[in-house]
Amino acid sequence: MAEDPTQDAKRLDPMEPWRAARDSYMEAWGKTMVDMVNSEAYAQSTGAMLESYMTVSAPFREAVEKAMLKTLEQMGMPSRADVLSIAERMTNIEMRLDDLDAKLDNIQRLIVTVGAGRRSKAGKAPQPSKKKTMKAKPAKRGKK
Amino acid sequence: MIADPVTAAANRLQALNKALTTKAAIAQTPKELVWTLNKSKLYRYVPVLPKEKRHPVPLLLVFALMNRPYILDLRPGHSFVEYMLNKGYDLYLLDWGVPGPEDKNLKFDDYTLDYMPRAIRKLKAISGVEEFSLLGWCIGAILTTIYAALRGDEGLRNLILLTAPLDFSNKQSLTFARWTDERYFDVDKVLAAFGNMPGEMIDYGAKALKPMENYVGSYVKLWDNIDDPRMVEGWHAMNTWVTDNVPLAGGAFRQLIVDLYRDDKLMRGELVIRGERVDLSRIQANLLTVIAEGDHITPSCQSEPVMSKVSSPDKELFRVRGGHIGIMAGSGASKYTWPHIDGWLGRRSQ
Repeated sequence: MAEDPTQDAKRLDPMEPWRAARDSYMEAWGKTMVDMVNSEAYAQSTGAMLESYMTVSAPFREAVEKAMLKTLEQMGMPSRADVLSIAERMTNIEMRLDDLDAKLDNIQRLIVTVGAGRRSKAGKAPQPSKKKTMKAKPAKRGKK
Repeated sequence: MIADPVTAAANRLQALNKALTTKAAIAQTPKELVWTLNKSKLYRYVPVLPKEKRHPVPLLLVFALMNRPYILDLRPGHSFVEYMLNKGYDLYLLDWGVPGPEDKNLKFDDYTLDYMPRAIRKLKAISGVEEFSLLGWCIGAILTTIYAALRGDEGLRNLILLTAPLDFSNKQSLTFARWTDERYFDVDKVLAAFGNMPGEMIDYGAKALKPMENYVGSYVKLWDNIDDPRMVEGWHAMNTWVTDNVPLAGGAFRQLIVDLYRDDKLMRGELVIRGERVDLSRIQANLLTVIAEGDHITPSCQSEPVMSKVSSPDKELFRVRGGHIGIMAGSGASKYTWPHIDGWLGRRSQ
């Protein structure tokens, strides 16, 4: 029986001890880093970094927004706020359409239910309906 | 025969390049779009079994707001959606879409009292039934729990919560709670700058919980298995999902941080959604809570307490080995989690 060459390769893999060492090193580092990100100091430092980014970037952002707004106004173009307002109104219109769709569904269901009810009445109890028409006829004759 | 080392190295680099720089073919199960509102879409998966062999009670899948829902339908042969279709479920998926700047004020209130009831109305109209089941995963489980407490009497028969972050009282176990503590994190300042919480920041937060595993270990694992096409294919699909981030609507993010992570309002019965208090004891639907034992994002202490809060006479807590995503998308999902969900739900969907 021929031997599987991949099994041989696995047995003779010179990188295996290196890999094992790497994995144990990574595991140790992983635990250390999990402890680190779970610490109060990490939360404090990331919070401080985010805060300083916001503080530094806010004036630039506001200046760009103002400049853009003025440019758009001068060019007679809608601003970002105008476009967002239209998008919000579109969503409101969609909701009204959905309400209408719900009402149509209800009406359709009622029509089907009433139709089915009539059909079942007509199909299941033909005798009473005939009797009713029989009774009605003499009354009409009497009136004549 | 030993392959030419140069060819082998070239093949490895080619596989590595493909896995790192391209997107895998994901979410391939056929579905039809049946309802939309704003960015949200309701899909109905094309049933694979004839009607008489299907469960009469449809199932609606609700995933988190800040990730793509196609993790539930990752790739053929490794798809929860495909599995459940083959088991005879009438399956719907609510995809929240990508919120734009105009959606920065969307809150849990809108998602649970506008979007979900409307999508469910459509689901009922299409399926022609009055009862349905809900499966919520991660933030999706928060939304389904709120919905079940507020509108559970509108036909909700079964509720499945996967890795549900509902209890935020144990601050020591929650790294996110530490990071978003009001002493260090000014949520209003962040939202004033960004509008919505950027997907990249959320992704960084999730990955930074286990930095070595996510930033180094994952790629080392890929390189170690680069000669195994099946493993590379799975890694590629998962990487496509992991790197496909979605921003979280500003209003919902503020509620998540302030009302839940900081004030634990849901479990304390103090959460108010559009004027209605969310009372978990109003939940009467059959309940299955699935906990991932190795979950570092939602530890079990966040999901367990809901069991004693609900009024459901029929409830079960199921623990499964694996991580937050691994229990549903990992290699063991089709052996443990999916069959258990099917077994539990199938008996309650007749």
